[in-house]
Amino acid sequence: MKLLKEFLAIVWRSPSGKASLLVFGLCLFLAAFGPLLAPYGATERSYDAAGDLVRLATPSADHWLGTTLLGRDVFSQILWGARPAIIIGVLTALGTVLIGVNVGLIAGYFGGRVDSVMMRITDIFLGLPFLPFIIVLLSLTGRSIWTIIFAMMIVMWRSTARIVRSQVLSIREMQFVAAAKSTGASDLDVLYKEIAPNVMPLALIGITFALAWSVITEASIGFLGFGDPDVVSWGSIIYQAYASQMMYRAPWWVLPPGIAIMVLVTSVYFVGRAYEEVVNPRMREMR
Amino acid sequence: MIEVENLCKHYATETGLASLLTGNRKPPVRAVDGVGFRVTNGEVLGLVGESGCGKSTLMRTLCGLEKPTSGAIRFAGQDSHSLQSADRKAFHKLVQMVFQDPYGSLNPQHTVGDIVSRPLIYQKAGLNRDELKSRAIRVLEEAGLKPAADFLDKYPHQLSGGQRQRVCIARAIVLEPELLIADEPISMLDVSIKWGIIRLLKSLVKDRNLAMIYVTHDLASVTSICDSLAIMYLGRIVECGSTRSVIANPQHPYTRILLTATPSVDPDARRQPVRIVGGIPNAIDIPSGCRFHPRCPEAIGACRHTDPEPVVSGNHSAACHLPKRETPKQEYEQETVIR
Amino acid sequence: MKSFVARRLWHMCLTLFVMITLMFFLFRMLPGDPTATVISPALYPKAQEALKAQFGLDRPLWEQYFVYLKNLASFDFGISFHTRRPVADAIEGRLLNTVLLILPSMFLAYVAGALLGTIVAWRRGSKFETALVFAATSLQSTPVFWLGMLAILLFSIRLDLFPIGHIVTPGLFPDNSLKMYVSADFLHHLALPFLVNALYQFCFPFLLMRSTMLSTIGEDYIELARMKGLKESRIIFGHAMRNSLLPLATTMPMILGWAVAGSVVIETVFSWPGLGLLMVEAVSRSDYPMVQATFLLIAVLTVAGTFIADLLYGLLDPRIVYE
Repeated sequence: MKLLKEFLAIVWRSPSGKASLLVFGLCLFLAAFGPLLAPYGATERSYDAAGDLVRLATPSADHWLGTTLLGRDVFSQILWGARPAIIIGVLTALGTVLIGVNVGLIAGYFGGRVDSVMMRITDIFLGLPFLPFIIVLLSLTGRSIWTIIFAMMIVMWRSTARIVRSQVLSIREMQFVAAAKSTGASDLDVLYKEIAPNVMPLALIGITFALAWSVITEASIGFLGFGDPDVVSWGSIIYQAYASQMMYRAPWWVLPPGIAIMVLVTSVYFVGRAYEEVVNPRMREMR
Repeated sequence: MIEVENLCKHYATETGLASLLTGNRKPPVRAVDGVGFRVTNGEVLGLVGESGCGKSTLMRTLCGLEKPTSGAIRFAGQDSHSLQSADRKAFHKLVQMVFQDPYGSLNPQHTVGDIVSRPLIYQKAGLNRDELKSRAIRVLEEAGLKPAADFLDKYPHQLSGGQRQRVCIARAIVLEPELLIADEPISMLDVSIKWGIIRLLKSLVKDRNLAMIYVTHDLASVTSICDSLAIMYLGRIVECGSTRSVIANPQHPYTRILLTATPSVDPDARRQPVRIVGGIPNAIDIPSGCRFHPRCPEAIGACRHTDPEPVVSGNHSAACHLPKRETPKQEYEQETVIR
Repeated sequence: MKSFVARRLWHMCLTLFVMITLMFFLFRMLPGDPTATVISPALYPKAQEALKAQFGLDRPLWEQYFVYLKNLASFDFGISFHTRRPVADAIEGRLLNTVLLILPSMFLAYVAGALLGTIVAWRRGSKFETALVFAATSLQSTPVFWLGMLAILLFSIRLDLFPIGHIVTPGLFPDNSLKMYVSADFLHHLALPFLVNALYQFCFPFLLMRSTMLSTIGEDYIELARMKGLKESRIIFGHAMRNSLLPLATTMPMILGWAVAGSVVIETVFSWPGLGLLMVEAVSRSDYPMVQATFLLIAVLTVAGTFIADLLYGLLDPRIVYE
C-alpha cells in the first residue's frame, strides 16, 4: 500500500505521468462500467425500421462509430472490449512479475547451483520466440482468456527474473542483510522481509511494461485468430474486420479498436517511464 | 563470559568440478587460524589488526554468520556449536553485532521503528504491536535517540551518520545479548561524533554488564574504551594483555610497529619510527615459522622455521621468540589516556 | 575469450535441444489426438493403421522421439499433414522471404533510430524532442498489424500506390525462380511491408539511443570537451554519439531475433509468404509437422540472435571480463 502510494506520488509529479495516469484511470473506469454505458450489447445486431440488418453503416447519431458487417455497434464493442483488455493485461502483468520476482530473488540470493540452474532455465525461455510459442501453446490448450493469460505469463516472466536477480546479487552483499541474519532471521525472513522490499521498485516497473506488452500481445493473438471466441476484445474486433475483407471499405470499423489499444498502452508506457526515471538512479546507487 | 579456543575458519579457494575431478586442490584461505581469548562480562576486549588480518571473519564467525572450521566458542561454559544446532535463533540472542558501515547496515526501505523491532519478530518473541513499539522506544532512548517517538517513523536516509549508528546499537541491544561485537563502529563517522558513540558503548557495557569485543585497526581509540587488547596478525593473535600493559610494554615487534604508526596526541612524545617492509602476505600462502618473520625487523634464524608458542607472563602473552621485557614506561600512560 | 564463446555456444545448443524436445513432447502429451485431423476416425481401421504407419505414429513414443531427432539432424522435418509432401520443400523459399523482409527494415530502423536519437538528444528540451518521443512511444504502443492495415488502407486502397499484399503479382513467376527477387515487381510488393516494419522497429533503437545519449552527455569527459571549447554539435556527433552506439549495437541481434519471431503478424497482414505466415497457416490447419519445423527455424534465428548479441556485447565493451 505504502509502495503504491509512493508510486502514484512519483508518477503524479511529472506532467506526462499525470496525464497518462488520468488516461489509464479512464481505461480502468471503462473496464469497470463500459458494459453499463454501452448503448448496445457486445454482439447485439441492429435492425432498421424495415427489419433489415444495419450492415457497415457509417457513423451517425444512432451508431457513433458506425456498425460492422454483422450490424454490431462499433462504439459499444469498444466499450465492451476495455474489460478483457484490462483484465488480461493486469492479471498477466501481476502473474508475470510474481513469477519473475520470485525466480530472481531465489536465484540471486542462494547463488551457486540454484542460481545457475534457474538462470539456464531463464535463458531457455529467453530464446523462445515470443508470439510463435504462445500460438503453438494456444493451439494445443484451446482458446480462452485463461489460456491466453497462462501462455503469456509463461513467456513473459523471464526478463523480470533477470533484472531482479542482478539487483539481488548486489543487495545480498549489503550489511543490513548480514545484520538481519545475525539477529536470527531465517533465509525466508531475509529474502522476503529484507531483500524483497528493495526490489519492489523494479517489480513495479516490470508490472507496467508487462501490462503494456500483454495488451499488445493479446491483440496480436486476437488478430491472428487465436483469441477467445466468446469474448469481444479490441484485437478480435480488428480480426473480424480483417477476416470479413470489408475493413478497407469501413475504416470506422478498424480505426477505433487500434486507437483504443494505442491510447491504453501509451499511457501505461508513460506511467512506467515517469516512475523509472525517478527510481532507476536510486536503484543504481545501491550497487 | 565468552571463551574462544583455537578457532579456525578456512575457506576453500576452488570448489569447481574440474578441481574435484583432478584432485588438484588449491590450499585454503586460512582467514582465522587458531585464535583463542576470553572476555568476561562488564569488560571490553579490543581486537586490533591491519585490514586483511582476519578480524572481520573472526567476528562473523563469533556471531554465527560463518561456521568455524574447527575450534570452540563457549558462552558461560556452553559450546556455541551445540547452542547453535539446538536453537540457532536463541544463539543469536546471545551475540549481537554493531557493523562498521552505518549506511549499509540499515535497510533503506524500513523505518527506524521497523529496524529496531525486526529482531524481536525474527526471534518470534510473540509480542504484539504495542509491546514491540514500547521495546523499540526503550532501546532507542537507551541508545541516546531522544525523544524516541520522533525517530520511529523516520527512514535511515533522513538520519545523520551518528544517529544511524545509534540505531544500529539500539538494534543490537534489543535482544539483550550477552556479548556485543562492535566492528569499527566509528571509523566511518565524523570526528566530532565519534566520542559520543564510544561513550555510549562504554555506558552500555557498564549498565547492562555486557561483554564487548571492540574491533579496530586504529590504536588511538582503543585506550579509552578497552580493558584489554588482542593484537591480530594474519589469522592469529600475536599479543594479548591488559590495555595498559600492552601499550606500555609491547612484547611483540608487530605491536611495537603498530604503536609507532599511531599518531600521538602529545607533541613532545618522540617515538623511534620502526620501518616495516612489504605488505601483509595473503592468507593462502602463510609464511613458515613465525608468520610475521618476512616483515619483522628483528627476525632471527629460529623465526624462519619454528612457529613461536605464546609466552605468558601474568595476564600478558605474546607469540614471539624474542619477547622484549621492559618495565612499563609511565609517559606512555599519560600520552594515551585521551580524556 | 575462447572459453566464453565455447560456453555460450554450448548454452545455445542446450537451449535449442530443450526446445526441440519440448516441441516433440508438447504435441504428443497434450490432450486431444493430433492425428485425428489427418487420419479421420471414419476410415476403416486398416486404413487408419496404414496411415499411422506412414507417419510413423504406430511406434512407441521414445522411438518416435529418436527417429525425430535423427531426421532433424538431416534436415528432414517429416511430411506435412496438409499437403502430404515433405515439410522441407515448403520451407525452402520461406526462410529467405522472411529474412529479405525483416533484415533490411531492421537495418534502416537502426540507422534512422541512431541518427534521430542523437539529433533529439542534441535538441533536448525542445518541442521537437517532446513530439518525437511521444510519437515513437505511441507507435511502439500500436499493434504492428493494425499499422499495416492502415498503411494498406491509405497507400494501396485510397492512393493505389502499392499492391495490397503478396510477394509478387501472382502468376508472374510461375516457377518461383530466383529471378523474382531482382524484379521491379518484387520491390514494389516489398516496399509497404518493409516501410511499416521499419517504422515500427524504429521506436526501440530511437528511444534507447536518446536515453543513452542523455546519460552520456552528463558524463565528465563530455563536460571536459565542453570546457575545452569544442562546438556542441561536434561534441554530440563526434564524442557522445560514438560511445552511445554501444548499447544499440549490442541489442541489435537480439531485437532482430524478436523481429523474426514477430514476423508472424506482419507477414499475415501483407500475405507475405514467409516463415511466419506459413506457421500461422500451419497452426490453424493443425499441420503439426509443419508447425514444429517453422517454429524450430524461428527459434534457431531467435537463439542465434541472442548468441550474437552476447558475443558483440563482450567484443565491444572492454569492461566485460570473460571469466
